[in-house]
Amino acid sequence: MDGTLEISIDKLPIKRLEALEENGVERFPSDVGYEERRLNLIHRIDFGWAVDREDSAKKQKKDNAGSSSSSKDATKPWPWKSLVENLQSAHQELSVIIDLINTVEVNDAVTVAGMTRPKQLPNELLSDLAVSTATKLQCYRHLGKYFKQSAKGLEQQIAREARFYGALIRLQQNWKVKRHRSAASPGNEGFFIDLFDNSLYDPTASFRPSTISTVRVEHDAAGMLALNLPPKAGRTLHFGFLCENSDSTATRASRIKIVGSDPDPSGESNKEPESDDDCVKNKHAVLREVHRAIFDEQVFDLVNREAFNPSLGVNVTGIRENYLELNLTQGASVFISLMTPKQGDHMVDSVDYQNLESALVTSEFFDDSNAKNKTKDLTKKTVLPNRVSCEIFLQQTFHEQVFVQAKKRTTSGGKMHSGPPTTNLLGHFCMSVAHRIFSNKILKALDDLVSRVPYVHLISHPTWNSRTSSWTLSVDVPQSIIHASCQAQISEKKVKTQFRTKVLVNDDCIKVEGEGAPNVVGLFKGTSERICSINRYDCDLADLPMILLQQVASQIIRWLHAEALMVGIKANRDFLCLSFELEQGETLGLVAHVNPEDSIGCISWWLVMDDGFTEEGKLQSEISETDNRKFLGHLSLDMLYSTLLDLVSLCSGGGNH
Amino acid sequence: MDSPGPNTSLQRLQNVEKRIVRVLELAGGVMDELANPSGSRKDLVSSHCAEFMKLIKDIQMTLREEIKSACDYRPFEKCDYIARVSNEICSKKLEYLAAQLDNMKQTVDEYHDADAV
Repeated sequence: MDGTLEISIDKLPIKRLEALEENGVERFPSDVGYEERRLNLIHRIDFGWAVDREDSAKKQKKDNAGSSSSSKDATKPWPWKSLVENLQSAHQELSVIIDLINTVEVNDAVTVAGMTRPKQLPNELLSDLAVSTATKLQCYRHLGKYFKQSAKGLEQQIAREARFYGALIRLQQNWKVKRHRSAASPGNEGFFIDLFDNSLYDPTASFRPSTISTVRVEHDAAGMLALNLPPKAGRTLHFGFLCENSDSTATRASRIKIVGSDPDPSGESNKEPESDDDCVKNKHAVLREVHRAIFDEQVFDLVNREAFNPSLGVNVTGIRENYLELNLTQGASVFISLMTPKQGDHMVDSVDYQNLESALVTSEFFDDSNAKNKTKDLTKKTVLPNRVSCEIFLQQTFHEQVFVQAKKRTTSGGKMHSGPPTTNLLGHFCMSVAHRIFSNKILKALDDLVSRVPYVHLISHPTWNSRTSSWTLSVDVPQSIIHASCQAQISEKKVKTQFRTKVLVNDDCIKVEGEGAPNVVGLFKGTSERICSINRYDCDLADLPMILLQQVASQIIRWLHAEALMVGIKANRDFLCLSFELEQGETLGLVAHVNPEDSIGCISWWLVMDDGFTEEGKLQSEISETDNRKFLGHLSLDMLYSTLLDLVSLCSGGGNH
Repeated sequence: MDSPGPNTSLQRLQNVEKRIVRVLELAGGVMDELANPSGSRKDLVSSHCAEFMKLIKDIQMTLREEIKSACDYRPFEKCDYIARVSNEICSKKLEYLAAQLDNMKQTVDEYHDADAV
C-alpha cells in the first residue's frame, strides 16, 4: 500500500428527506433493495491500489530479473534470492485475499457466491505432489525415530522393572506382600510387606498388629527395591540380672555379627555396588529383624500384662518406659526390657555404675571376674544362670504357650475352650530362674563337700524340667577290696559295693534320699543286709552338708558291718558306730565323726574302747584323745577296710589291747 | 537372568516384553526405510514386516496361554510366621550352644596346655 490513507464515510442509515412538496408531503428516497445495497458496498471497495501494486510488482520483477542477470557477473548470486522473491510476492497476494475475505466476513451483506479453482499447470501439479511426498517422508522419519526411541525407553524400563519385580518375587516367597492399589502413584506401585500373622484371630484381641508390622516397598535411586522401615523397628527383648556385668557383652557382640548390616539410609557404609543377590539377602535379613522385633514386642506386652497380676509369685520393683524390674524369691532382681541394640550397650554401662553402689545387698551373687580378666578362677563361680539362656527361655515359654497353642486352636476347627488359657507364664519363668539360682547354690555346696571327701563322687542328672534338679552322691568300694574280699570269702551273699544318696530339688525344696540308717526291724532280726530302707528327708540348704555327710558315713558303717559279718565276726551297728565285742565285755568301736567345716576331709574316724562303764553319751562330745579313744584321722576306704580286718583279727584272736 | 530357556512363566513373560521391544524396533526400521528418499528396499521392508507379524503372533499366543494358566488370587492361606519365630528361637539356642561348646573347648585346651607344661 502506498502511504496515503483514504477514508470514505457512509451516510447514516436513516431516512433522509429527499424533497418536500408544497402540500407537505414528504418524499423519501425509495428503499434500496438488498441486492443493490450489497452491490453498492462492493463497488465502494477500491481495488485499484491492489491492481496498481501488482503492476508495479511485475515491473519490479522484470527490473530485478534484468538487474540480476546484469549483475550476475558482477556479484555472486545468492541462490535463494529468487525463491525469496517468489515467496514474498505470494505472501503479498495472499494477504490481499485474506483482507478481502475478512472484509467479506465482517460485512454480512456480501457473501462469497462461489469459488473455482483455476486449473493447475502441470508443473504446479508436480510440485504439489513433490511437497506432499516430502511431507509423508518426513512423517515416516518422525515415526521411525519415535518408534526407536520408544523401543529404547521400553527396554530400559523393562530392565529396571525386571530387577525390581525379580527382587519382589524373591521376597514374596517368604513374606506376605500386599498392595494398596489406591496408594499407587507413578513412582510407587503401592506394595508393602505385612509382617503380622492374621490367622491368629483372637477375639480378646491380645495380638494387635503393631505399628511396625507393615514395611513399605519403594524404589531406591537405581530403581532397585528398597525397604522403608517404620521407626522403632529395631527393638529387641533384653533380659538381665541387676548385678551382672561381664558375660553379656560377649554374647551381644556375637549376635550383632550374625545379623548383618543395618539398613543404612544414607548409604555411606556400603560403597561398592552390591549384586542383586546380596541386595535381596540383605532385605531378607532386615525383614527377619523386624519380624523378630514384632515378636519381642508381643512378648513384652504379655509380660507386662501378667506382671501386675497379684496372684503371681513375684513383685514388680521398678517400671520405666519399655522396662520392667522384678524381684525374685532368691533375692535376685531381674529386668526385662525392650531396647534397640545401641540402648542395650548403654544399659549395660549404666547398670554397672548403679551396681557399684548397690552391690552390698546382693554381694553374694556378684561375679568378680571382669571381661578383661581372662584367667578363669574356677573356685569363684557365680550362682546366676546365664543371661542369654534365660532370655531364650522367656521367649520360648511365651511362644510355645501363647502362639503355638493359639495356632493349634484356630486350625483345629475353632474348638474354642473357655477363652484364653489362664496360664501363669511369667510366674513359671520367674520360678524357673529362681530354681536355677537355688540349684546353683546347692551345686556349689555339693561340689565343695565332694571335693573334700575323696571317695564320694557327685553325679548330676538331667531332669528335663526347668524347676527340678537332681544329683547323686555315690560311694564306690574300691576294686582292690572287692577282689580281696571275694578271694577271701566264698559267699553267696553279695555285699553291696555301691552306696547312693540322691538329692532332689523341686523349686526350692530339697529332698535327700538314701539307704543307710539302720532299719529298726532289721536290727531286731539281726540280719539287715536284705532289708534296705530308704530314708527321706526334707531339708534346707544350710543343713544339707551335715545331713549328706551323716548319710554317707552311715552307709560306710553299714558296709563295714556287712564286711565284718561276711568274715564271721559279730558286730553291732549303731548310727555312726560299729562295735565289736571283746572277751571281757569290753567293746571296741569304730566311730565316724562328721564335720562339714573341716577343711581337710569331712569324715574322720575314732577308735573307742568301752569297758562297759563309760557312758555312751560322751562319745560325740569329746574330741580329745584319752585312754579310751584314739583318733585315726581321715581314712580312705582301703585303710578303713584294713583297719576293720585288724579289728576282726584282734577280736577273733582274743587278744589284749 | 536365572536359568536359560523359558521354563517358568516369569521367563516367558519376560520374553514377551523383549519381543515387544523388538517389534517396536522393527516398526521404527520400516518407517526409516519408507522415509528413504531414494526409495525403499522392498526385500528389507518385507522381511521386517514378516518378522513383525511373527513376533506379534508369538506374543499373542504366549499371553493367551499365560492368562489361562494364571492362578486365582488366594489371600495367604498358610502363613508360616509362627514357624518362623520358632526357627528364630531355635537359631538363638544354637548360637548359645555353639558359644558354650567353644568355651568348653577353650577350657579343655587350657588344661591340655597346662598338662603339657
